[in-house]
Amino acid sequence: MFPTLFGVAVFIFVLMRLLPGDIVEIRLAGEGANVTQESIDAERARLGIDKPMWNQFVDWMGGIARFDLGQSMWTGNPVADEIALRFQVSLQIAIMATIVSIMLAIPLGTIAALRQDTWVDYAVRLFSITGLATPSFWLGILIILGLLVFFEWLPPLVYTPIWVDPWANLSQLIWPAVATGYRYSAVATRMTRSAVLEVLREDYIRTARAKGLWEKLVLSRHALKNAMLPVVTIIGLEFAFLIGGLVVTEQVFNINGLGKLFVSAVGYYDYTLVQGLVLLVAFIFIFTNLIVDMVYAWIDPRIRYG
Amino acid sequence: MPVGQLSVDAAILERSKLRDWGQAVLRFARQKPLGTVGAAVVILMVLSAIFADVIAPRDPLETDYARQFTSPNATAWFGTDAYGRDAFSRIIYGSRTALIVGFTAAFFGATLGLVIGVASAYFGGRIDMVVQRFMDIFLAFPLIILALAVVSILGTGTFNVALAIVVPMVPRAARVCRSNALAIREIPYVDAARACGFGHRRIIFRHMLPNVMAPYLIMITAFLGQAILTEASLSFLGLGVQEPTAAWGLMLQGGAEEYAESAPWLAIFPGLAITISVFAFNLLGDSLRDVLDPKLRLL
Repeated sequence: MFPTLFGVAVFIFVLMRLLPGDIVEIRLAGEGANVTQESIDAERARLGIDKPMWNQFVDWMGGIARFDLGQSMWTGNPVADEIALRFQVSLQIAIMATIVSIMLAIPLGTIAALRQDTWVDYAVRLFSITGLATPSFWLGILIILGLLVFFEWLPPLVYTPIWVDPWANLSQLIWPAVATGYRYSAVATRMTRSAVLEVLREDYIRTARAKGLWEKLVLSRHALKNAMLPVVTIIGLEFAFLIGGLVVTEQVFNINGLGKLFVSAVGYYDYTLVQGLVLLVAFIFIFTNLIVDMVYAWIDPRIRYG
Repeated sequence: MPVGQLSVDAAILERSKLRDWGQAVLRFARQKPLGTVGAAVVILMVLSAIFADVIAPRDPLETDYARQFTSPNATAWFGTDAYGRDAFSRIIYGSRTALIVGFTAAFFGATLGLVIGVASAYFGGRIDMVVQRFMDIFLAFPLIILALAVVSILGTGTFNVALAIVVPMVPRAARVCRSNALAIREIPYVDAARACGFGHRRIIFRHMLPNVMAPYLIMITAFLGQAILTEASLSFLGLGVQEPTAAWGLMLQGGAEEYAESAPWLAIFPGLAITISVFAFNLLGDSLRDVLDPKLRLL
């Protein structure tokens, strides 16, 4: 886990410094001819980007060891604060999108498997392949269009935390969650379908049916429980990638989350902020992988890590 | 045998080969009707990209401020945008952009991944471990974030966007090809080739690569859809293909709220174009996978 994170850190650090131009040039560009070389150098020195690269890297790593991600070069606020502000928004959307995708995927996938090769199965498969092909930002645009045209209503633009006013909060964040969740449900639906199909052919299902168990119990206790293993993996892995999907969706819904922050930070050459964000995303990804492995062992007692 | 006879045989052989191909296509169409629909849409898209000049009723870049935001009608099928440009022509030309970026990104991404993955599996041991750790680093980024980072270095524009999508594709392709190649490495003919004294390069390129072709082909079709989606997303963010080039993602740029009042059709058709083309590539890829390599069904 840590070697990979370190690799990510090195990679993004070098990548950012390969960018032509830096934040000082962008910030001072507005002042036109009045910019002197001295003021550029002074600004670079203030931000510490005049030092040799290895020196900057050591400084950054030293900060991280003390849980200090440094200050945003653009706003001057601590990176951790900038991120924390948006993180709760994005995290909430990501969790809600995951819930949406679970609520779509597991029932649909199971029904498709139970009614294999009927029109229900085909309809579900069509629905999920369409989800995979639809760009979530376009779905977002369509949702906004639909809300405007049919209800003459737009989701609120100002973010309200869920503990202040749950209704206002949900009415803003549910739409991006649906737009991203639908897309992410596609893979999980297909996985559920094939997993249930596979499990239904197992001997213990035949045994359960043979001893006269209710079909409902056969499905819920024996089939679904065992079919969930690959589904949990997929959902877990996708949770990490949701953050990536949010980059575009947040733009459509004008939500001030991590995705928007990332795009603007890249635009401003805000080294410290981009580095912090990328490290966070990589950490979430690697950490969810770990959690998925642990949930594995919990669901399936056959798998125990020594 | 007289020389004439030989060439006649060759002609017959050629024709029977053609017939084999025809039969293969027919069988594919019978077994996989959905895949055939996908293939048909893909072919249609390729044709419209090649013959865009002939099909498009107007120049996609031609602005006409007298026709701003006209709704779809007989002369402008999909209406016109804020500059009076014909949306239908822009969608036709947009297929060119999508396919150029899609093919470049998918082909180079999958091919680089193929070589790296197979070589990594072939050499095994420490080399394999180092390469895999390196790939892990790239895999820890969501596709679009890595592409965004690369675009910000290279700059925007059609070619750079294609290149930016190649980078995240490589480790994904490498992982799939490696696991396939690992199985192939254990088959005795690789040992036989080594016993014959062949070099590493020859064994990798002549003996192992051809056997990983099925997943490679499947991967290219799957990547094509993903690459088109990523290009559309980047262009939508303003970090991809730039105006005035016709690109689907770019056409969707500029908030839904603004268009909802004035011209909702501008938000609908380009999105449909993206969805249908990605849909077609996915269908084709799925069917190819079932036909070529049933083992990969869960990929």
